[in-house]
This record gives sequence, C-alpha cells and structure tokens, in this order.
Amino acid sequence: MQKKTAYSFPDEILEHVFSFIQSVKDRNAASLVCKSWYEIERWCRRKIFVGNCYAVSPTMVIRRFPDIRSIELKGKPHFADFNLVPDGWGGYVLPWISKMAGAYPWLEEIRLKRMVVTDESLELVAKSFTNLQVLVLFSCEGFSTDGLAAIAAGCKNLRELDLRDSEVDDLSGHWLNHFPDTYTSLVSLNISCLGSDDVSFSALERLVGRCPNLRRLLLNREVPLDKIANLLSRAPQLIEFGTGTYAAELRSDVYSNLAEAFCNCKELKSLSGFWDAVPAYLPVIYSVCSRLTSLNLSYAPIQNPDLTKLVSQCPSLQRMLVLDYIEDSGLEVLASSCKDLQELRVFPSDPFGEEPNVSLTEKGLVAVSSGCPKLQSVLYFCRQMSNAALVTIAQNCPNFTRFRLCLLDPKIADYRTLQSLDVGFGAIVEHCKDLRRLSLSGLLTDCVFEYIGMHAKKLEMLSVAFAGESDLALHHVLSGCESLRKLEIMNCPFGDKALLANAAKLETMRSLWMSSCSVSLGACKMLGQKMPRLNIEVMDEKGPPDSRAESDPVDKLYIYRSVAGPRFDMPPFVWTMDEDFASELS
Amino acid sequence: MELQLGLALPPPPLIPIETFDLNSYGNYETREALGTNALSWPLLKLGPADNDINNIHHHNSSSSSSSSGGGAGCKKRSFDEAPFFDEKRNVPKTLHLLLWTNQPNDEDDDPSNVLHENSSSAIFKNDGEGLVGWPPVKTWRKKVHHQIPNGGAENNRLPAVENGIGGRASKSTYVKVKMEGVPIARKIDLSVHHSFEGLTNTLMRMFGISDGNRKSFKLTYQDREGDWLLAEDVPWRTFIRSLKCLKLIRSRG
Repeated sequence: MQKKTAYSFPDEILEHVFSFIQSVKDRNAASLVCKSWYEIERWCRRKIFVGNCYAVSPTMVIRRFPDIRSIELKGKPHFADFNLVPDGWGGYVLPWISKMAGAYPWLEEIRLKRMVVTDESLELVAKSFTNLQVLVLFSCEGFSTDGLAAIAAGCKNLRELDLRDSEVDDLSGHWLNHFPDTYTSLVSLNISCLGSDDVSFSALERLVGRCPNLRRLLLNREVPLDKIANLLSRAPQLIEFGTGTYAAELRSDVYSNLAEAFCNCKELKSLSGFWDAVPAYLPVIYSVCSRLTSLNLSYAPIQNPDLTKLVSQCPSLQRMLVLDYIEDSGLEVLASSCKDLQELRVFPSDPFGEEPNVSLTEKGLVAVSSGCPKLQSVLYFCRQMSNAALVTIAQNCPNFTRFRLCLLDPKIADYRTLQSLDVGFGAIVEHCKDLRRLSLSGLLTDCVFEYIGMHAKKLEMLSVAFAGESDLALHHVLSGCESLRKLEIMNCPFGDKALLANAAKLETMRSLWMSSCSVSLGACKMLGQKMPRLNIEVMDEKGPPDSRAESDPVDKLYIYRSVAGPRFDMPPFVWTMDEDFASELS
Repeated sequence: MELQLGLALPPPPLIPIETFDLNSYGNYETREALGTNALSWPLLKLGPADNDINNIHHHNSSSSSSSSGGGAGCKKRSFDEAPFFDEKRNVPKTLHLLLWTNQPNDEDDDPSNVLHENSSSAIFKNDGEGLVGWPPVKTWRKKVHHQIPNGGAENNRLPAVENGIGGRASKSTYVKVKMEGVPIARKIDLSVHHSFEGLTNTLMRMFGISDGNRKSFKLTYQDREGDWLLAEDVPWRTFIRSLKCLKLIRSRG
C-alpha cells in the first residue's frame, strides 16, 4: 500500500488543519516547513499583526496574503505616549487603507494603535469595507467626528467601535445620528476620549436602546450622572460600563434611580469612568461590586476612607486601576479582600508635585504582592522604594509577567540604605522567570543591566530612563536578553560601543528607541551603511545632522528592522541614515 | 547568584585586525582601510584577545538575599571581562560592527559621570512640567490630574495638590496649530511667546514658510465659543485668554 506523505494530502485538508492554528507565531512556523505549506498557508491566513507599520509595506503584505479579514497595525513608538515623538513623525494609515481597499474588500476588522488616521482614511474605510465589523483606534489621532460620521453611516455591520485614548478633533456634529435607524448590531462602543461637542445624548440613547447585543459601553466625560440611569435601563445586558462624569449634587431621586439601574445590570463585570467622582454616589454601585472583575478608578479623585471602603466590597476583582489616593492602607485592604487580583495599576495623582501628597509607598505594593497570589501585572508609581521591598515582592510573586515601577524622582536611591536599586530589580528578574515586560526607575548602575542580561531570558520589552553608567549596561541587555523585541531608553549615558558591537541583535528586535543618550552621528551613519535591513532614523528638531560633527550625539534615535527599506513620509526633522545619506555627505 | 559563562570563541578574522582607535572614529580613511571584508568579521572586538576569554567569573551569591549594599555581589567589570560569548545563545556571530579595544574609554573610567548628571536635569526641563517625557504619564492622565477639583477646604491633608493646581501652570500651554492644506497639525507652546511677532516667527519656522511668503498667510484662531477670528483683530491678552486652537490660512486678495 502506498504510504501517504504529508505533501500528498489534498490542499483542502491542510487548509482545514491550518484553520485550527490561530497563533501568528505558529502560522509563521508552519509556513516555513516547505513551499507547498507556505503556499497553502498564505492563501488561508485571515489575520495579520504588523507591530511596526514601517517594517513592511502594504504591497508586500497583500502580495503574500491575498485574503485577509483582520489586520492590526501599530505606528509610533511607545514613547510617543509621553510626548517624546514630535507631531508629524509619521504612522499614517492612509497608504494601508488605500491599498487594502482594492485587495481586501471583505476586511472585517481593523485595529490601529498610535497611528495617524485622517477623516479621508475613515471615509475610505467606510466606502471600501462594507463588511467591517470591528474598528479599534487605540491612541490614534488626526481625525474628527466627520470621519466617525462616515463610519457610522457606511458600516452597516459594525459591531465594535473603540476609540480608546484617541485624540479626536471636536467639530460640532452629531455623528451618532449617522447610524441609521435600521442599525442594531452594536456590541461594543468606547467613546471615552471624546470632548464636549461630540456626542448628542439623545442619539446615544436611541442607539443604545435599539442595540440588544450591546455589551460594552464606555461613555465620555461629558455625559452627566443623572442621564446614566436611563441609559442603563435600556441596556441591562451590559457586561462592561464606563460612566461619564460622576459628580452631581446629591439628589435622592437621582440616587435611587441610579442604584436601581445598576442593580438591574445582572451581568455587569467591569466598571470605569468615574471622572470627578464624589463619594456620595459611590454606594449606588455596591450591588454590583461583588461581581466586579475589573474596576478602573484612575480618573476618580476619591480618597480614603471612601475609596478603601469601595475596594473592600469587590472580592472578585482581577484587575484594578486606581490613583495613589488609595495609599498603603487601601492597598492593604485590597490585598486582604481581593485574592483573585491579577493586575494592579496605581497612577500618580500629582505627578509633577515636588512633595508627596499621599501616603503611598513601597509598603502598599509589598502588601499586595503578599496577599494576592495571582498577581501577574503591575504598574506602580510611587516616590520611594527599597531593595528589601523589591526582593520581598519578587519572592512573593514569581509569576510576574509585567512589572513596571516608576519612581517619580529619577535616580532616587534606596531610601533606607541610600544605595542603588540594582539588587532589588535584580531580584525581580531572577525570581520572575516569565517576565515579559519590565520598566526600571530609580538609581541604577550597570549592575542591574548585568542581572537583566543574565536572567531576563523571556523579557520582550524593556523601558529604561536615567539609568546605567556606561555602554556595558546596554551591552549586557543586547547580548543577554534573548527574547528582547522592544527596547526604549531615555537619558542614559549609552554611546556607540554597545550598539555597534551588537548590531546584529538589532535585526532580531522590532525596534530600539534611544533619546538623550550619547550615540554619535557617526555611529548612526555606520549602522545605516552596514545594516541594510535596519532603518536608522535620527530625529532632531534643531536642524539637520550634517550641520554637526560626526562625534556629536544625536538627540533621538529610532532603529527598527524593515523589509520595506527607508520610508519616504518623514517630516523635516527626521533623517534616515541609509547608504545614500552617508555617501552624499562624505 | 552564580554566574556561569559558557563561552565560545568567535570565528577567527580573515584579516588581522588592528586595534581600532575610537578617537579616529569619524575618520573615513580608517574605516576604508578595514576593507570590504568588514561584514564578515567584527570591526571592533569585545575583549582584547579572544584567547583570554576563558576566565570564568563567579559572582557572590549574596546579591539576591541581601538588602544592603548597592551592587553587592556585582563586581564592576571592565569590558575585557564581559561575558560576551555564550555558546548556547543563538545570536548571529557575524556583523559585530565594533571591537572593544583594551584602551579604556574616558567615560568607562569615570563612574560618577557628573557632567551627564548635570546635563540631564539642566537641558531637558520643559517649562512648568519638569523633564520632558518624565514621569511617563500619558497626556490623558496629566489633563485629568490638573482638573481635579480643589479639595483643600475640606481636606487639609492635601496641601500639595492644592498648590499643584494653583501654583504652577495647571492648564497645558500647548495648543494645536493647523496650516491650510497640511493634514497634520502641530503643537506650539504659548507660554514662551509674548507677542504676535514672536508667535508668527515661530509659526513661519515651524511650517517652513519663507519671509517672502509671510504676507500670503493669515493667522486665525478658534475661541472658546467655537468662532473663528482673525488674530490680528484683537489685543494679545484677549487672544491668549480666549484661544483654543490656531490655524494659518492663505490670505486671498
């Protein structure tokens, strides 16, 4: 009997098998097995993720994958969130939309992060993708409510519209009215970022009322508290809800309506919003608290004891975002009440204040690490830290996947010993073998980087500021962190050596950002010349780099691997160090 | 915490390498002298001679449990001793563009890089908001905190919050500027300008408009009521107080 080998299967069978492989990594691996698998796989791939929109061109993507239904694109580097990337840098989505309009008429999902999206792009999306179901614009900018109106009017199958953290130009316009009366398929709507003139409340009410599948609704700040009860009563099936402003004069009718409305939302698991919250209205959500798995109070200026009291009512919490008003005492209560906690983010209420305004220290984080065995992800802003605390935290939580600590005063030492925090962070990377993301702060020497290079083998993203003493630090990271994909560095004394010695490593990473460091223009040019598959972009708003000496440090440096070559949409303050740049100047 | 080094030697260079003096870095001649084989062997080597990288260093294991002493258990090492090669690692061995020399670089020998410390705080301060990009708080959150109602009257535990709102410029002084015909808006810091002249100069520079072309542009602004007005029609103080965003339009006629 003739033995069947893998490649003699009919294509349809392999396609069917591949349809069970959802992970992009696995798909990529399968496509490398042999030519026929490559071919079959590329025809049946439906979903792609492009972590850096300049790493590949839309033409290349379309050429390889002819039938994509879901695309995710990311544009600007992460430090753009903190104003380190000037306006006009790039990350335009229009070229992608234009090309995909013709190639992927059946596109269902578009997810964009840190990209510039214009009204023209949105209009093109609405016109070209009649089957669009999901549109997520995460930290995007460049569009107005006119673009949203086009989406509302054109995308009859839209299920999810999520504008989280985006900057939308508020032209007055009742864009919500553009959803036709026959449109009933909304499942998820996040308009929390919109400004004042953008939302016609009556249109919102009607929309919510006619969409029976609406499960997620995040309102913007301008929706007044007394309107919420009505809204909730039209959507008692909500699972996730974000209020608007949560302040109003205490009125018993408003209060009781709200309490009743929340009580009727039997499936509510996640709450957010709470802008300007006043304690008086907090108890209306008590009926929901026991079921809550996610609570975002990071816009609520609520303080203790009200804040702690609220937290203590939520034993099922898995995800908690809060301001540092919670203080150590509140975190201790969190630690004893919320045994399922997996993610904690504590934001600073007064990030630029010179003096602490709340009593939030390392003790709060130690308490949570001790009391919450499932804790995996931490983002913590505070003003003091000790190695002892970090070591304890590391020993308590070996399962950390994300650990981001921001000590507000850069280069602050261990407050007990006045030493650097190398040992503390070293303990984190040593104990937390699955750590994928790490942000450092405080006084740090080259030593911590040696620990990181030695232990952080699964680390994918590292953020560094005001740390290290020499190139050796950067060298440790680049040579030791095998899984490193994204490295972002600001204000560190790292120069050319480590970068040039590890040039090959850069091709294994998505990107490297270095600003206010000591990398010379000459080194950038050398990298640009020798590494054709890297784009070396130098950013300087003061003037062209050729007006300065080769040994002068560049202001901002962004290096990323790309098969698309240097980009052509750079603003005047970005120069790409490709082969041409060096030769035309020498 | 023990440090085990698995070391592998790099492939021997095809051409004998001369030590590369970083001080002559910008010297193109030196680079060319290294020849077209530059891609196949390290241009600068980490560690003085490959043969010497057989020293295995062990760390003290005290670093993970001790809470005292910054860098306890971490000897500060020079580049010679850096664990560069790990035979288990899967890092491509070609394309090291840098060879360490045995000659210490200035910055390595100076642990207290005082110059850098001073510069980081002096150069990068952004008026009214501390260091640029620090702390890493999203713009969204900055805005929220500045608008937190003043709770000073009821709660005297928070004087700093009160000061934070009253004392420093609590509203962001950046406004959006658009130019007609240009899809992307820029942002400009109003607090550093004190007259229309200065503001216009900055805008012309920002959008690359030459002096000759200045006359063909007019500055307009949108006030809090949403109306668009000509900037030159109002006094500077009125302008500053009521403007929401700016737009440069081409003047007609």
